[in-house]
Amino acid sequence: MIGAKDIKTKICLGEIRSVDTVKDHFKRIKKTDPKVKAFLRLSEENALNQAEQIDNKDRKNAKCGLLEGVPIAIKDNIMVKGEGMTSASKYLEHYISTYDATVIEKLKEAGAIFIGRTNMDEFAMGGSTESSAYQKTANPWNIEYIPGGSSGGSAAAVSAGMVPFALGSDTGGSIRQPAGFCGIVGYKPSYGLISRYGVCALASSFDQVGTFSKTVVDSALLTSVIAGKDYRDPVCEPKEGIDYVRDIDNPNILKTLRVGIPKQLLDYKTDAEITKYFNDATNKLKLEGVEIIEIDIPAYRYVPALYKVIMCAEVSANIATFDGIRYGYRSPNGRSLNDEYAKSRAESLGYEVKKRILFGTYVLGAKNYHRCYHQAQKVRTLLINQITAAYKKCDFIFTPATLQMPVKFGDILPEECDLFLIAANLAGLPGITVPCSFTSSCMPMGVHFMGSRFSDAKLFQVANAFEKISEFDTDKYPIL
Amino acid sequence: MLKEELEVTAFMARLDIKEEEKEKYLADINVMFDYIEILQEPGVASLKPTTHVTELRNVWRDDVVKPRAKDTIDQMLNGSPAREGTFYKVQKVIEAQ
Repeated sequence: MIGAKDIKTKICLGEIRSVDTVKDHFKRIKKTDPKVKAFLRLSEENALNQAEQIDNKDRKNAKCGLLEGVPIAIKDNIMVKGEGMTSASKYLEHYISTYDATVIEKLKEAGAIFIGRTNMDEFAMGGSTESSAYQKTANPWNIEYIPGGSSGGSAAAVSAGMVPFALGSDTGGSIRQPAGFCGIVGYKPSYGLISRYGVCALASSFDQVGTFSKTVVDSALLTSVIAGKDYRDPVCEPKEGIDYVRDIDNPNILKTLRVGIPKQLLDYKTDAEITKYFNDATNKLKLEGVEIIEIDIPAYRYVPALYKVIMCAEVSANIATFDGIRYGYRSPNGRSLNDEYAKSRAESLGYEVKKRILFGTYVLGAKNYHRCYHQAQKVRTLLINQITAAYKKCDFIFTPATLQMPVKFGDILPEECDLFLIAANLAGLPGITVPCSFTSSCMPMGVHFMGSRFSDAKLFQVANAFEKISEFDTDKYPIL
Repeated sequence: MLKEELEVTAFMARLDIKEEEKEKYLADINVMFDYIEILQEPGVASLKPTTHVTELRNVWRDDVVKPRAKDTIDQMLNGSPAREGTFYKVQKVIEAQ
């Protein structure tokens, strides 16, 4: 199987047809997805029509889009005009999007082909994709295990070779954690680099759209297409038209690089094999000339608490929009307007979503606001200050992507498992998971680089350089 | 959190909770109260709260109506569980005295 960048080049050169590429991917999906269950819905007919239009272009005169004819999967919390978008919730079971998300507009302009919509935790609330109201997605490397989440469907689809790349969203590691569990690249941009217009909101001060792919270069390519200022997402900053692929092969990048490893890594129980392969990866970086520096960020210990308090508060505000009036599920049992709101929400939302709404409503309550939410925002400043100070000593912070391997369905991951990923959301920083090794259980583990704000281009260079020295076989796919 | 606090919070959140569900919610939410306690530890009185990480202040744009497809209103209303003409249909808001 070839990557997105090569597919696009071959289509533009007329060496392969988009229709054949799309058919190949659907063949793979039909073989593997009954076991993996990555997709909630497929759009084969539409995809083939789109591909045919691309193949019918006059190649000599037609402009070739950045993703001309390349298949892509979309997480089911991103709006595509005229299509359903459930966010894996019963509340949005029959919802039809009335407009395109900005990232979808950009993908259409670039010539990408939409293959289908991927499974996720309900409203992206979870880290295993088990809270989807529709189905459980399996880890393609061992279908008894979770793929991670919340973007578990996108991660599993790319990992199993059903699509060359996919979109996800990352509020607290929701791209980078499943990427680690599924042995692929997962990238979350700096806060404000990619528009969230048309994306179902979870916690707005953390949410970002990001990418999944087998290789770093394909994530860089996808980012080049979807990044940029958007007047409809006011936190989107003017970083327009950057080509993240052009300078990605920087042969000198590792020679002058300073990489920080937080000493707090030792405070948490880490899987023995993850520790071993992470140390091997650190030694490989050293051999390339990277200076490894120990950094001290004591506020890491507050990350799980900070995330839970602030995220739930923002969830309670964002999910308030689901009231059963303008769209979505409306209970037939409501006796008054308030009763109708309360029953519509109670009957259509899952337990995890309701628990977070309740906790969020509590921490925002007039009596509790100061001690809970306001205090958390101050501790968030403390964490950001300590991370900013650490970046005076190093260029990137390097950790395992997760501290534990994926668990079987129904088992609980320890909450510190993806603590070092969540720090990136709290501080608005870019982060990328790159696969590193296979453990003795034949499942992959990944490492994570976190950069300073808007260091995304350099982050891709570093991740790309690491991919080359890691010896991880990106051409290997799970046998399904 | 006590049962009465849960009931008030559920009303504030417009969530109907059944009597038999209350125990589980209370158990799970009370575990989350540890997070609030942990966050009281560090001395942060002098720090400003972070509401978002951008340097942006007010983001203004011109108040201009952008043209939309003619059927947009119809499509939006069609997504509603109940419509009447060009209105969303809802329960009676004001009760008779």
